[in-house]
Amino acid sequence: MIPLLIAQNTFREATRDRVVAGVGVAGIALLALTQLAAPLALGEGHRLTVDLGLTGISVLGLLVILLVGTSLVAKEVERRTIYNLLSRPITRPAYLVGKWAGLSAALWAVALLLGCALWALLAVRGAGGHGWAVLEGVYLAGLELTVITALAVMFSALSTPVLSALYTLGFYVVGQWSYDLRLFAAKLPKPLESLLGVIANLVPNLPLFNMRALAAEGHPTSGLHLALATLYALVYVACVLCLATAAFESKDFK
Amino acid sequence: MSRMAPLNPRRRRFLAAWAAALVLGTAAYALADGAWRALPHPAPLEELSYYPSGKFVEPATLGHATTAADLAWLRAVQYYGAHRTTDNQYRRMGQVFDILTTLDPTFLPAYVFGAFALAQEGGDFSAAEQLMHKGLAANPASGELAFKLGFLYYVRPGGRDLKHAAEYFEQASRQPDGPPESARFAAFARQNCGDLTVAYELWSRVERTSSNRYLQDMARKEMECIRAALAHGRRELAVRRLTTPAVLILKQP
Repeated sequence: MIPLLIAQNTFREATRDRVVAGVGVAGIALLALTQLAAPLALGEGHRLTVDLGLTGISVLGLLVILLVGTSLVAKEVERRTIYNLLSRPITRPAYLVGKWAGLSAALWAVALLLGCALWALLAVRGAGGHGWAVLEGVYLAGLELTVITALAVMFSALSTPVLSALYTLGFYVVGQWSYDLRLFAAKLPKPLESLLGVIANLVPNLPLFNMRALAAEGHPTSGLHLALATLYALVYVACVLCLATAAFESKDFK
Repeated sequence: MSRMAPLNPRRRRFLAAWAAALVLGTAAYALADGAWRALPHPAPLEELSYYPSGKFVEPATLGHATTAADLAWLRAVQYYGAHRTTDNQYRRMGQVFDILTTLDPTFLPAYVFGAFALAQEGGDFSAAEQLMHKGLAANPASGELAFKLGFLYYVRPGGRDLKHAAEYFEQASRQPDGPPESARFAAFARQNCGDLTVAYELWSRVERTSSNRYLQDMARKEMECIRAALAHGRRELAVRRLTTPAVLILKQP
């Protein structure tokens, strides 16, 4: 119950933030821009719209996380409002889970809004058949943002907003390269290959949430992909939040 | 034996969180590994190739077009390597190299590699030719690129194009960074496409300008051969019948 209350407050706070509103407007503007570029695409306008639309959700979501998520906990510590919260019967894990859930919900709302706009645009342009693939693409983008939000909350509980943003961005970049890391590792000597393989499995495997190539063609992905991505996101988020809890529990607020 | 002191709730939560993180981390690790093995992997290069041209991609790089070209180059090389060892299909390679060279028009290795890969593996000589001409238009003073274009014509799959090869070997020989052998290649190509008068001039230039005595000997020999052919009115005495280079017409199944 308490995490839910904190999540509601965080959601309200995040959606009132100008950054989130700005990102929504930027997303819609990006979709409009794709229509200006579509005539240049030599018949590949739909593909361009879907690809850029889904990339926009992912990148703009990351922007929200970096600007809002990485200061979620640090801001409360700085304003000292956290003392009021933690002096009540609110456990630290509940507080962190609430913060993560609230921001994730705000990001899901932005992703859904932009996803609906993308689908409506495609329907108007006569490519409504891409709807299911776009829906799956938006779902996976939402899962990706959920995972990154967990990392941002963890770093926010540990460090300053600037450093948290840098750490989160670093994990995002390495996460996006995790598959390349494996391919690169395969060309190296065995011990190094194993080491890089372990690192590639430990960082967030963000390519798992990327089906833009399929969605751009209007093809839905497999049920196995969706199931594995969902399970992976849930387990990874839970793991990161546990680490955040462990770190936050050992922190003394004096 | 003294009993252990009970843990305070914070310490208990701390340890529980670490234990849970360990278990969940192991599960996430196994899932990541399983997903990598079970699912097809996204191909970012194919995504790049959706874009109509580099002119559209360039503004999106926000002033980092060269960096984007470097990253695209890494991807292009990976793409080439991956397809070379698997299906030998290079459907979008021409477009990828077009994007790459639009992002960085001075990226000479990209023109050369892209053109030879397109001609040799892709079986698309006109795309290869187009890419090299684009490179030369952007880098008109590059003797290196002119020489490679001449070489591309020289080894054209399906039949050498000695006339064009000679034209670009000559162009390369006029540039300061052109390879020293450009003039010799130009003379050789001119001679073997039957253009004996120009070939004679080019050989005489090699003879005059080269400091290599073997090359001077070779030039003198060829000039003598051309003189004899012209004197007897039998051009075939100075023209060799060159075969198509086998390495370039080999096509894997």
